[in-house]
Amino acid sequence: MPVDLPMPRVGPLAEHAPRPIKVVLNWGRRYSLWVFNFGLACCAIEFIATSMGSHDFIRLGVIPFAPGPRQADLMVVSGTVTDKMAPAIRRLYDQMPEPKYVISFGACSNSGGPYWDSYCVTKGVDQIIPVDVYVPGCPPRPEALLQGIIRLQEKIAAESLSGAALRRKYAAHRTPSAAELSRPLLLDARHGPAGQVAR
Amino acid sequence: MKVTQAVEIPLAEWVSSVGDHVSQGFSYFDWLTAVDQTDATDEPGFDVVVHLLDVTAPERLRSVLLRTRVPDGAAVASLTPVFHGAAWHERETHEMFGIDFAGFDDGTGLGLRPLLLPDGFEGTPLRKSFMLAARASKPWPGAKEPGEGHGEGLRSGAPSRRRVQAPGVPPPEWGPR
Repeated sequence: MPVDLPMPRVGPLAEHAPRPIKVVLNWGRRYSLWVFNFGLACCAIEFIATSMGSHDFIRLGVIPFAPGPRQADLMVVSGTVTDKMAPAIRRLYDQMPEPKYVISFGACSNSGGPYWDSYCVTKGVDQIIPVDVYVPGCPPRPEALLQGIIRLQEKIAAESLSGAALRRKYAAHRTPSAAELSRPLLLDARHGPAGQVAR
Repeated sequence: MKVTQAVEIPLAEWVSSVGDHVSQGFSYFDWLTAVDQTDATDEPGFDVVVHLLDVTAPERLRSVLLRTRVPDGAAVASLTPVFHGAAWHERETHEMFGIDFAGFDDGTGLGLRPLLLPDGFEGTPLRKSFMLAARASKPWPGAKEPGEGHGEGLRSGAPSRRRVQAPGVPPPEWGPR
């Protein structure tokens, strides 16, 4: 039985904090991005390469140890998004606490890439979730992801976390309920259509 | 692996002939799929193809490709009585090509139901008649034919070749692009 809890949000303290405090808050957030890798195809390998010794995005404050989306600040969608996978991406994005950021990594998640006319490939992950930074390439080099992370950090540094600004950012997107976040993704054909699944 | 032997089988003898090959040693079911041959001049339809392996001598693998031509709308007998694992492949072939498998039984009693396509998907996408809607809103960005596209190829006089309408490209009735 799902408990109807509100999503954790940035409180009124941050909203009404004086400007120097906001700078400090933004500075703190931009260098502590717990990242959640939504690896769907070969671009995920480049993401892993970026997290390893030679490129090492931990020195930029990107921490690849988030146990799941509920502990993550940043989602990197790397790979081909299919229509079958799209509900899962939307759901895991919904589970992330605000403020949350998305980097679309590679041609496939930017626009569908070489599979733009496929019957089953979503034409860009920005059709289902808001994207902050697009990294082009097929696949992009790890340096391109580092540049994308730096662009995202510049964006975070410049942002104001007032309630109005947050509402603008997520304006086109509904806020999910707790029940939606814990619904089963796959329907068991033996139990009939959605909503009739025995819990 | 290299296919060394291909056998055409009449539709009526599909299951019995596959069973004969199993008793000849081809007892490993590799895969089953279909090929859209609805534009063939004689006997248009779908080729249902199954690939079987003989793994009794691993250093000398033998393989056989069995094919049968199924007219559009007709059902082919299911291979699930011979290979239980063929149920996955027949479900995929059914949703991708719309071919019915008579006598399909995977033990659940639920019949041929969608396997891979997203919920609510309409159509059979691996048929040549399936239109790719993305191409209706956006032209192909590259060159379809030799001599098309940018640069020198345009001026140097491409070899004259009948313009081929690729399968899945929406016809002009779909509107301007």
